[in-house]
Amino acid sequence: MQKINKNVVLALLSLTSLVFLLFQLYYYKFYLSQKNGAVFSKVRGSQSGQDSTRWHVVRKFLGLISSHNIPVYLIDPLILGLVDKDIEQIRSSPDGPSPECKYFCAPRDFTTFALLDKTWKHEVGLFRTAEKMGFQWLKIINKDPRLDGMDDLSGIEIPLHYIFKLASHAIHLVVFYERSGNYLWHGPLRLKQHMDRKFVPFRKLHFGRYPGAYEKPELLLVSIDDLKVQIPKNPSSFLEEMSHSRFLECRYREARAFFQLYPDDASLDAVEFRKKAKSLLHLAALTLNNLGVKFWLSSGTCLGWYRQCNVIPHSKDVDLGVFIRDYKADIIPAFQKAGLPLKHKFGKVEDSLELSFQGEDDVKLDIFFFYEEVDHIWNGGTQAKSGKKFKYLFPKFTLCWTEFVELKVHVPCETLQYVEANYGPDWKVPVKTWDWKSSPSNVQYNGVWPVDEWDDVIQIY
Amino acid sequence: MDEWKPNPAVKPHKKRSWYLAWKYKLMNQRALRKLCQTGAVLFLLVTVIVNIKLILDTRRAAYEEEEESAQDYDDEMMNVEVPRRPVSNKKVLDVEVYSSRSKVYVAVDGTTVLEDEAREQGRGIHVIVLNQATGHVMAKRVFDTYSPHEDEAMVLFLNMVARGRILIFTIKDEGSFHLKDTAKNVLKSLGSQVAPFLSWRDMWTFVGKKGGEVYGEKHAKSPALSTWGDPVLLKTEVHLTSVEDAECHWPDTELNHRRKRFCSKVEGYGSVCSCKDPTPIEFNPDPLKDNKVFNVPVAVIAGNRPNYLYRMLRSLLSAQGVNPQMITVFIDGYYEEPMDVVELFGLSGIQHTPISIKNARVSQHYKASLTATFNLFPDAKFAVVLEEDLDISVDFFSFLSQSIHLLEEDESLYCISAWNDQGYEHTAEDPSLLYRVETMPGLGWVLRKSLYKDELEPKWPTPEKLWDWDMWMRMPEQRKGRECIIPDISRSYHFGIVGLNMNGYFHEAYFKKHKFNTVPNVQLKNVESLRKDAYETEIHRLLGEAEVLDHSKNPCEDSFVPDTESRVYVMFIRMEQEADFTTWTQLAKCLHIWDLDVRGNHKGLWRLFRKKNHFLVVGVPASPYSSKKPSSVTPIYMEPPAKEEGAVAVPAVAAAEQT
Repeated sequence: MQKINKNVVLALLSLTSLVFLLFQLYYYKFYLSQKNGAVFSKVRGSQSGQDSTRWHVVRKFLGLISSHNIPVYLIDPLILGLVDKDIEQIRSSPDGPSPECKYFCAPRDFTTFALLDKTWKHEVGLFRTAEKMGFQWLKIINKDPRLDGMDDLSGIEIPLHYIFKLASHAIHLVVFYERSGNYLWHGPLRLKQHMDRKFVPFRKLHFGRYPGAYEKPELLLVSIDDLKVQIPKNPSSFLEEMSHSRFLECRYREARAFFQLYPDDASLDAVEFRKKAKSLLHLAALTLNNLGVKFWLSSGTCLGWYRQCNVIPHSKDVDLGVFIRDYKADIIPAFQKAGLPLKHKFGKVEDSLELSFQGEDDVKLDIFFFYEEVDHIWNGGTQAKSGKKFKYLFPKFTLCWTEFVELKVHVPCETLQYVEANYGPDWKVPVKTWDWKSSPSNVQYNGVWPVDEWDDVIQIY
Repeated sequence: MDEWKPNPAVKPHKKRSWYLAWKYKLMNQRALRKLCQTGAVLFLLVTVIVNIKLILDTRRAAYEEEEESAQDYDDEMMNVEVPRRPVSNKKVLDVEVYSSRSKVYVAVDGTTVLEDEAREQGRGIHVIVLNQATGHVMAKRVFDTYSPHEDEAMVLFLNMVARGRILIFTIKDEGSFHLKDTAKNVLKSLGSQVAPFLSWRDMWTFVGKKGGEVYGEKHAKSPALSTWGDPVLLKTEVHLTSVEDAECHWPDTELNHRRKRFCSKVEGYGSVCSCKDPTPIEFNPDPLKDNKVFNVPVAVIAGNRPNYLYRMLRSLLSAQGVNPQMITVFIDGYYEEPMDVVELFGLSGIQHTPISIKNARVSQHYKASLTATFNLFPDAKFAVVLEEDLDISVDFFSFLSQSIHLLEEDESLYCISAWNDQGYEHTAEDPSLLYRVETMPGLGWVLRKSLYKDELEPKWPTPEKLWDWDMWMRMPEQRKGRECIIPDISRSYHFGIVGLNMNGYFHEAYFKKHKFNTVPNVQLKNVESLRKDAYETEIHRLLGEAEVLDHSKNPCEDSFVPDTESRVYVMFIRMEQEADFTTWTQLAKCLHIWDLDVRGNHKGLWRLFRKKNHFLVVGVPASPYSSKKPSSVTPIYMEPPAKEEGAVAVPAVAAAEQT
């Protein structure tokens, strides 16, 4: 009898679980279809719909900030994209009334504005007025990165983002800070524990996933949709800049730990070398930027940034990387004009190109050209006396901005992989003797240059 | 064995028979039964797993859709639990106060808020002020009333404390020797029965509310001159009042919010916390026309002297042309009270973990502050460097605005300083006059960014070198022959009496009589003539017109300079080579100006005023201006007094005014 009961129980259980499963499946399907439907309806709305709420909120916000004399400018990528199409017309008739609401009426959750920190005192009065006008607001503060590199300074936390919400629309105000290296920086948006995660759909924000670095924009006062706003003078270049604005802070904490382990070289020689390397890097950056050639910190200079946030005093040269597609024949004359004569040129544009320029007092500037393959990136090396070729392989990377010796420069975003490819897993340990032909962990022997090409591919001055 | 397979499409009415048959079969076939059982269990398990997964999936989907809050946006630190102090609604505080020869302590609700058992210090009356609503310590002071004048400071302090605050007194070692009647009466008015009769080496503790009840008092008389009274321990209870009663009712403004926060935390700042008619904390001085230093950052270097900082910031914020947004106060150490002062004025403050000790600590603090200043204001070409024990002249920024272009254009300049080392009441006269000097006076000065970034910062003395930063900056390796511009009448006034290299005597001797400009909007004279070459022309012109004084007289005598006004006189002293300052030091001594090391010289020439006449001193033959000496005049030589003990210590105190 017991055995029967057991079986019955089992069967019953199976049955209920089956029913349960079916119910779950049904529910899931129902839920999914509802969600998709919602997404579709939103898309539809944004294509044809008009949303005067947004326009009113933006107008109120502009009124609020102008009453407190705060100069903000529009950086909303969606609006700037639209504005860019009509930029000629907008520029030519800055005051004309617009027949239809073209830019500020597409229903969106946000409109994004920028604020330059030094143009405003962060007065509390603004928020009181905002509250009186019906805005809810949220302030996102965090550590001041300008003091991050310094030992033992506990700075005040600085506001990085403000969000003003009224009805269904929110204004995202990104605070930009000026930093050493003559550029603007905005911080990441990170919510603290006590903050309201549902205040706005944070994930949809255009700014704040990462910190960003920008040039100081020239501004233009325009009137769009009968609202007077400042916009970047050249919206398309701003949008271009925005697409690769991601900024990496130097790893100051790790650098401090490094110096605890390996005290910094404070000798006069080291001080002198750092000073020269810094000025050489500044000169190189100026020259390449003028030519519009994108470059990044490579090899030892990149390691110095990543490991110790400074120039490695025993490295003896400055290393830069450039994609071969960005190569310009003007590079050599431009450097010569800047007072940096060509020291040697190895390889050719098609293969393993490398340029070296002679800086002040034996400090050398090396520019390595990088060749992109399907699954990796490489640059070449050449031994002058034997004509031997070497190849250094790197995993693919993208470029991020960073600040180094008071300069805004690129580094590979995936810096760790880049440094590890080059220096192996022990990159944290300083090595004084380095042989570029055998020490790197990513070096490959790559044959020998044909003797008849030597005159072209091995040029030493 | 006949196989019977259940038909899946079987009709319901046949179900029972099917089931029975199946059951029957199973009963007979153990193996099959086992198999079915396992199958069922497995099926169960699978459904449970699928169920859980589905639940999780749907929940996540729902979460994403509804919340949209992304993990990318969560602060790394968000999971750190903030320890919350339990809000105590306690209305009564237990207070313990101990007084003895070698130790004093005060404990409030079991927490020690004062403990001093150090030898050879902390003598006198310790005073603690508690907030009557929260019980927080608002001020802690010790007045060494064994020494003169300290009782006056105590009276001043007690008068500043707001009514209603709880005051705790305790004596360590000796506190009555210079406790005058005025002070005793103040203590009596607070409710102390014993205070009027306090005498030599008595021990005493007292807890009372200002202008209110007495919570307890204990006293132990010293039995004999050579012995101390027995240690006294006072245990008492203090009843707290409500927060509303403890606060003033100022109008609801942003400024008063700051004031309220400040006044509920600290005491001893006088009328800033007065309920009726509090002193302003915003000054709105006149802006300067064409202010060239409006965007120059101002770094205020501070330690833990909050009362000094308060006085300093008041004068700074009252100076015409000040831009509060450019001011950053750098506090050496995690002291709360200086930060409270900074916040009271709505300025930004940065705390710095002390590195190293003594002079090196100051020097590291300077370095961190300067680096931070240029990081925070990356497009600044200069920084104004101030210290917390300076009064700032009303025309400080006007003075800098008129002269800063020189620092930008003239490579031979090292700094602009608001301080004239030799500008005493009796030796400075003309607020519109500027000098070039080979020394770096500090005490309110402007630093060029390129000088700091390219030269000073990389070589700055490391923490293990116990150097004074200013002495280091004056070294020829750093200064490289460059000069500083200073005014005749200083634009800053050094009021600090306590400090690393400072004491009351030293201050009285060298700083108290320093002249300080109080005239607004002084138009500086001949700023262009301060450039390197123009200055030489100017000096030659000046020497050309100067009357040579009678060298047969004693230069220390007042009659050495005739009783005239606005004339230019010159005297020649002996100076064998560039570093021979024997006669100058003696002259400086008798003129009662800075004589601890050589300051204020320019190529062997000193410029000051005597009896309202411009008074030039030329060192012959080292100075290039020696050629102006008439051949008939013999340079004055003054012998240094026979070997003095103190002479060796001179370099050690030379930089004393800096801290």
